[in-house]
Amino acid sequence: MKKFLILVAVAVLMLTNLSIARTKLVALPERAETVIRLDNPLYTLVEEERVLALQKGTNQVDFSWTGVSIDPDSIRIKILSHPDEVNLISVSYPPGENACIWQMYSPSPYEEKIRISYLLKNIDRLITYKAIADKDETKINLQSFLILRNFSGEDFQLAKILLDYGETYEKSVSHEETRQMLLVTKSSVPIEKKFTFDARKLPWDPEKVIGNVGIPVTYEIKNEKKHGLGEFALWSGKVRIFQDDGKGATIFLGEDNLNFTPVDEKCSLYVGDSRDIVVTQRKIKDIKINVRKNDSNAVILYDTDEIIKVEIENFKDMPSTLTLIEEIPGEWDIEETSHAYEKEDANTLKFNITLAPKAKETVTFHYHRRNVR
Amino acid sequence: MKNIIIFSLVFMFSATLYCKIDLVTLPERDKVQLTIYNSADLTFVRETRTLTMKKGANKLQFSWANTLIDPTSLELFPLKDTDKIAVTDLYFPPRITGLGIWNIVSQISGKSPCEINYFTSGISWQAYYLATLSQDEKTMKLEGYVKVTNRSGEDYENAQVRLVVGKIHLLDEIATLARRYPPYGRPFKPVPLPSEASKRPYVESKAMLAGAEDRVIVKQIEKEGLSEYFLYTIEGTETIPDGWTKRLLSFSQDKIPVMNFYKYDESRFGKNVFRFISFKNSKSHILGKEPLPDGLIKVFKIADKDQHLSYIGQDSTKYIPIDQVVDLNLGPVSDVKVEPKLMEVKTFNYQFNAPGRNISGWDESQTWKIKVSNYRNIPAKVEITRKFPHQYWTIENSGEFGDYKQLDKDTVRYTMELPPNATKTFTYKVVLRWGDRQY
Repeated sequence: MKKFLILVAVAVLMLTNLSIARTKLVALPERAETVIRLDNPLYTLVEEERVLALQKGTNQVDFSWTGVSIDPDSIRIKILSHPDEVNLISVSYPPGENACIWQMYSPSPYEEKIRISYLLKNIDRLITYKAIADKDETKINLQSFLILRNFSGEDFQLAKILLDYGETYEKSVSHEETRQMLLVTKSSVPIEKKFTFDARKLPWDPEKVIGNVGIPVTYEIKNEKKHGLGEFALWSGKVRIFQDDGKGATIFLGEDNLNFTPVDEKCSLYVGDSRDIVVTQRKIKDIKINVRKNDSNAVILYDTDEIIKVEIENFKDMPSTLTLIEEIPGEWDIEETSHAYEKEDANTLKFNITLAPKAKETVTFHYHRRNVR
Repeated sequence: MKNIIIFSLVFMFSATLYCKIDLVTLPERDKVQLTIYNSADLTFVRETRTLTMKKGANKLQFSWANTLIDPTSLELFPLKDTDKIAVTDLYFPPRITGLGIWNIVSQISGKSPCEINYFTSGISWQAYYLATLSQDEKTMKLEGYVKVTNRSGEDYENAQVRLVVGKIHLLDEIATLARRYPPYGRPFKPVPLPSEASKRPYVESKAMLAGAEDRVIVKQIEKEGLSEYFLYTIEGTETIPDGWTKRLLSFSQDKIPVMNFYKYDESRFGKNVFRFISFKNSKSHILGKEPLPDGLIKVFKIADKDQHLSYIGQDSTKYIPIDQVVDLNLGPVSDVKVEPKLMEVKTFNYQFNAPGRNISGWDESQTWKIKVSNYRNIPAKVEITRKFPHQYWTIENSGEFGDYKQLDKDTVRYTMELPPNATKTFTYKVVLRWGDRQY
């Protein structure tokens, strides 16, 4: 399919009215090297080189397109063979047409190589990942794939397809074709496996829930050099996570979206749920104290005295670390806690609880909310 | 039905994009392994096929019309000569559904074993259990089964079957991805999903139900933990034609000690007593070798000396990790009764606010008598849960109240053992503080 057309006309006179003067068909140059650049997730830049047979004097090059959608304001031209001699005089856009007309001046007849670049719509890429964890879940092998989706209306023959990192591919790509290419493979990337009970999101009493309350399991990966990564930001994309089963095969553990991760930053992948750790949380005390009233005897200000008890059972025969996230609204202070915590923000507490194999651990925290109105 | 077809193609380089193409071989599956999940409609298929490579560029065409394969999961890699055979890319040609082509560059020619992996939907498995209580209801025989159903559109012959117990996280349903065209969607707007695959007519398969049925020895299921999941590997291979279901025995254990157990909790069960059977998935209960996957359990009882059965009830069990206690809910009963009766109400300690002389607080005492009756000829353990309207209370228990425990700020629990045909009575007096009496 020829969707792009380049016509070169030699104008003998300087033309005053372009719409009348569009002389047709002098040369129809073939597309030479083509680059499809996908480093911008929203826009795809196409660069193509063509050789124009320019005459001495002013030439009119007519670049038009049908059946594709390009952003006319993004069209740029770069003169490659004689950049010091051949000049682009003007660019005009005829009304009601998908076209632009370049006026070029050439001091002598030249076979002039030019590079045209433009943003082409309906062609983009996705990034996907495949991770294979080892049996101990301490390392992964990470593969990153580029998925080129070309629904632009254009067939490309042997175009260079590239992102800002990884392999460059030279492939022909047809309209409505999707192509998956391996970009990067990184082996033995360290991961950290984590269990998180977020009391703001998960049910407190598993006994009252139909089915099991799964404790989310995440893998944390740091995009840094000493972890075998850190050369480039990881683009956002779906990750499918597998694990080596120790018998030459793998099992699929789960999938998650990897969020854009700059160099030296961490990303967290939600793999699946553990049902071998059971958390039961109960409020065992919640009373009003320091109650103050107005003249009409209505309560206007009080503090609270609250105790929360969290029972954690580890049914696994391996030690685990569980992060417990708890929320206390408003103003508060802690009276006593059974375990150390970190204050994540004004209203969030984080306990890191180490669980021995097959052990039960009880976390209690006793706190006061202050100046509740 | 064989819907998955593989052609190995000789690639002839030419300016034409898709030169139509010599068919070289149509390799059969050498081996196939199915890893079936029960928390999502997902099966991970690993096939081994022997491909015939030519030196240079090769194309391998893989088509899966009328199946439920997720094309975004397709993967091919050589099992031998991995440094000489490179799979460069996979493309989905325009305007053709259910077809992908791999480009492979090989430095060698000849036969080469390769692995093809993909996800499919339409194959599922469930666990289910048959429990039989002994006549004295002190022990139970528990049989665990797994049932595998194939509605994927593809016959899988002589497949190694692995079942995964666990809850995986998925972003997209595999069935949705399988129906999506183009495989990765379009750059612009989402495309409505055609669903021919799901409407395809049922075709009776001629493939045989080989495997468990014609074997005298019951197949073993090997079990092991991986990550947060448990993997059941069924001994040998299975043939599961499209449309068929297979049931296999996972384990069978007799003489598991059980506890008969009744719960009364108005906030959960209303005024009824619910019967539970309780046992622990542990070595002490001659179980505990593996977690028990969630599934339906039907409970029977041996009714007489001739081993006739009587059906008691059924429950859906949760997933039970090793060493956890299982409470099977068998529904309401009438042969154990819990009757709470409010015997006395008193109010006192009134407070009045100064300006209007209105009542601003008081105490209320409620005296409850609870009668617990076991009309059965076996002992029963009864658990009674009582909830109060708020957290400002004090309590006094008297009589045969058993083991008393405060569960949380407004809930208490009494647990007691009742001999056969016995009645116990206990009383509690709760003082509730209202209004200003709370501060």
